[in-house]
Amino acid sequence: MNEFLQKLYDTFIYDDRWKYLTNGLKTTLVITFFAVIIGMLLGFIVAIIRATHDKTGKFPILNFLAKVYLTVIRGTPVMVQLLIIYYVIFASVDINKVLVGVLAFGFNSGAYVAEIVRSGIMSIDNGQFEAGTSLGMNYTKTMFYIVMPQAFKNVLPALANECIVLLKETSVAGYIALEDLTKGGDIIRSLTYEAFLPLIAVALIYLVMVVTLSSLVTRLERRLAKSDRG
Amino acid sequence: MKKTIALLSSALLASAAFAGCGSGVKANTVHSVDDLKGKSIGTQLGTTGYIFAADVEDAKVEAYNKGADAIQALKQGKLDAVIIDSEPAKVFVSKNDDLQILSDPFAVEEYSVAYKKGNDELGKKLDDAISKLKGDGTLDAITAHWVGDDADNVPYEDKNSDVSNGTLVMATNAEFPPYESMSGSNIVGIDVDIMNAVCDELGMELKIENMQFDSIIAAVDSGKADVGVAGISVTPDREKNVSFTQGYATTTQVIVTRKD
Repeated sequence: MNEFLQKLYDTFIYDDRWKYLTNGLKTTLVITFFAVIIGMLLGFIVAIIRATHDKTGKFPILNFLAKVYLTVIRGTPVMVQLLIIYYVIFASVDINKVLVGVLAFGFNSGAYVAEIVRSGIMSIDNGQFEAGTSLGMNYTKTMFYIVMPQAFKNVLPALANECIVLLKETSVAGYIALEDLTKGGDIIRSLTYEAFLPLIAVALIYLVMVVTLSSLVTRLERRLAKSDRG
Repeated sequence: MKKTIALLSSALLASAAFAGCGSGVKANTVHSVDDLKGKSIGTQLGTTGYIFAADVEDAKVEAYNKGADAIQALKQGKLDAVIIDSEPAKVFVSKNDDLQILSDPFAVEEYSVAYKKGNDELGKKLDDAISKLKGDGTLDAITAHWVGDDADNVPYEDKNSDVSNGTLVMATNAEFPPYESMSGSNIVGIDVDIMNAVCDELGMELKIENMQFDSIIAAVDSGKADVGVAGISVTPDREKNVSFTQGYATTTQVIVTRKD
């Protein structure tokens, strides 16, 4: 028992090592938060472009660019994208690493969000568009007032899943020496040579964050379901 | 098919347009150990360089998974200096014309072989073998193949095919030339040669496991490897978890910067 307490002390208390975890957690949360915002914005824009092109044939060039974006981002691992952004695109610039992380994970997430949202839009029956048109609404109005609200509700679980994946994926940020939660645990591990406590602590913190996120989404889903009839 | 090709080629073009923006890396500001104050210092995670750098006043210390990644960041002006072991530093500098090693050494230390605590039988055997190899000049001969102007990078040749005493599993991190690095699918370098020579003495077969540097001590501690040999120097924290043999090489931690 004493030995365990000693390890606990060495891992977290000695030299304020717990700060590696709290500072790392802060970085992870900041990256995830802004990456989710970028990902959602980008994803919705790309999805609307792609869906509009599929339905009306408008925006051929934008649709092509969107396709290139999806192909490149979904065809390469996020870690490689992160390294490319840090070492290739921002070569010879001393750029804030958190910004690199936000951009890399945001652009990455955007591609997945785009396909999720597009599948939501495509899942809405064409009759809904026709109903909108027959009420005298134009395409944009039909899209925003009739189709999107229904589509959003349908894809909410998938979007929440994407957020959770994104939160956990940020753990590769350590590759550019960004001190996120995982790297914080790694640094403690490299100082104490004791793997169990830092790794379990990091895993628990991720778990708590994901469980909190899931329960928030469940509440949001319930709130949105109130407007469903029957 | 045509569409796919068009997609891919435009993707390539787009990425090519992104690449290579910007040049003009900022000038070197570190000329001595004292200049390190308040600078951003790159190190490899889990190395003594990281531990030493953490003691530098106001410095922002960044821990990369590989020494080569820290060097890359230094070249691009993302760091002011990198603290790393002298021999790998020489290899990095010889391959990068824009980098230099400061003449002030940062710290002097000795590399040792790590083995599981309590396994004194193995420790004694390793110590004896290292003493013998030091005495008969084998260690110096091995080092001469990898370091200095006459280095020919010829690996050590097994002198003894007797492997009746089983296998010795060595944990290492093959990102640390000239001590260990990848050559094709093989791991080569001073540490590998020394351990091959030690295994000749012990009548054992050497098996090498390549892993992250910060996992080596844990691998030895948990018994996944018999010995950890990766240019590891002895620190009090490391000694809490594993035992060390006598030193087999003396080395310094040096400061690498961009050229002025």
